[in-house]
Amino acid sequence: MCRVVGNAVATHSHPSLKGFSMLLCRQENSNGESSGAPPFVAIDLFGAALHQRVFVSTDGIGARGIVDDQSSPVRNYIQGLIDE
Amino acid sequence: MRIGQVIGKVTMGVQDPALRATRWLLVNPLEGEQLNTACDIEPRMTSLPSLVVYDDLGAGESDIVGFVEGAEATAPFEDPTPIDAITVAIFDWIEHHPYPPEDDDD
Repeated sequence: MCRVVGNAVATHSHPSLKGFSMLLCRQENSNGESSGAPPFVAIDLFGAALHQRVFVSTDGIGARGIVDDQSSPVRNYIQGLIDE
Repeated sequence: MRIGQVIGKVTMGVQDPALRATRWLLVNPLEGEQLNTACDIEPRMTSLPSLVVYDDLGAGESDIVGFVEGAEATAPFEDPTPIDAITVAIFDWIEHHPYPPEDDDD
């Protein structure tokens, strides 16, 4: 479970990431408290808003299916948006 | 993927045959508060442990890169390759708005 805390733009990236938006996510516990770890980047398909709570998957097999490239090193993707 | 700054290159004299002709970078992961300015002002070194990362993008020293760790790092290779981290993006711009928002007007 994560909170969207920003976004990142890269003109030079692995070809499989072209066209996907990359959001900065920070891990949280169920009370909404940050874990203290630095934010990481996840690809987003749903148009998650800033400071929205989201589910992030770290499953590489699922991520490769989403970008439709079996040779993609992508790992983190937003799996769902949490209603608050 | 995590975000870090390239702080050097690594060359190896003896290595696994699968790794011949590869390029390795030394990457220092960034803290959250450094992300907003990382692409403009050279960030200072963090206390987070630096990693040796395989590079296919041609990232140079002081570039801000996204790197993936774990089994996914070997996905771009056809043959089994003993790689633990790979660069997947060179960032031009990063915007970080901490949550909960700070009270100042930034």
